Amino acid sequence: MGNCQPDREAFVLAEAARSLIWQAWDEVYIIYQASSAETHVFNETTALILRSLEQGPLLAEGTRNRVEAALGLDPGELVEEDFAFALARLEELGLIDRLDPVSPVDDRR
Amino acid sequence: MIVGDLGRGEFDKRLAGPGLRVRFGPFNIRIGSPLDAFAGVAHQLYAPYPLVEENALIDFHVRIASPRGLRRWVRRQACFSLDGQSPFAPYTIEHAFPAVEWGINWCIATRAHHLLMLHSAVVERDGLAMLFPASPGDGKSTLCTALVHSGWRLLSDEFGLIRPEDGLLLPLPRLIPLKNESIEVIRRFRPEALIGPAFYNTRKGTVAHVRPPVDSVQRAAETARPRWFVFPRWIAHSPLDLQPMSKSQAFLMVASNAFNYEVLDETAYRLVAQMVAQSDCYSLCYSDLDEALAALDELSRSSRDE
Repeated sequence: MGNCQPDREAFVLAEAARSLIWQAWDEVYIIYQASSAETHVFNETTALILRSLEQGPLLAEGTRNRVEAALGLDPGELVEEDFAFALARLEELGLIDRLDPVSPVDDRR
Repeated sequence: MIVGDLGRGEFDKRLAGPGLRVRFGPFNIRIGSPLDAFAGVAHQLYAPYPLVEENALIDFHVRIASPRGLRRWVRRQACFSLDGQSPFAPYTIEHAFPAVEWGINWCIATRAHHLLMLHSAVVERDGLAMLFPASPGDGKSTLCTALVHSGWRLLSDEFGLIRPEDGLLLPLPRLIPLKNESIEVIRRFRPEALIGPAFYNTRKGTVAHVRPPVDSVQRAAETARPRWFVFPRWIAHSPLDLQPMSKSQAFLMVASNAFNYEVLDETAYRLVAQMVAQSDCYSLCYSDLDEALAALDELSRSSRDE
């Protein structure tokens, strides 16, 4: 986190996120997290981050690219603060983990 | 056999002795009381409810009686108890009847966790249920009373009881407590409605209880399938406004209105999601009961025709 390059940070889906129950209505996702017995309300950006990480760890930059593509946005069009907020929220809920900087991440996936 | 089959003498004898064993929807309740203030009203308003056979299990043993000690004589009071424990401060003796009604609701809300319990009125027609989740003061009971005296069957004024096994709603057709201005509104709207005495200056203002139509009590074993969620709000002089509501918003409002969503965890999530998914959801602002009933009748007809 010291010489911070947010887009070079990598994230992985936490174990707790493997057993989520999803209910999507329009652009809102009502999600039940069994590990905390909590129900969450996610917007599309937050839900797509989780979906993007289901196949394996990704750099933040790669995750963002996938989310933008899924939302039909041009690269760089997703508001940085929204994306960062969603990442922070998912991390806080224990649904994604930040990877150690030395861990190899294949961002070509 | 129903409560009304008991003469007043036998009724009082049971209340003061072994207890009156009465069935309210899925719950068997034994009520004990030596108080005339309770017995007189209960004999009239509980008349259509079935008595519980002797060998049946009782879910809640409740009692309303004067507390022991000096207060018994200085200022007559009534204490509600469940299994011998008194969870509430004493009521004035004149409020013994509403105290039992609130107490039984409290027993259900805090203990019946084998069911998902929504804070909601529920009415039914042709096997399909319309739910009215609401907060106090939103006009839920007034609207519910008007509907069940206009061709709808009462499942409950207070509890949407959902059976986890199949997601169906269980009826709990208890008395409907009207408060303050709602009492006169219903007296004018449906003069034939059987309304008990008004209790003044209770903890909830003036309260009077409506006895549900006998048909609703007799059909208390007939479940219903959730079909509509309507979130009502009574606003003085408001024009009628019935608007579709997004399912995500409806989910949140239903879940936050449940008595035991957190207790049932994943089961509650699945049940609420399933109910909302299979229901049409609306918000309703109203001030005129005739207009509201016409709109809800039309809603139920058009949905059935789809």
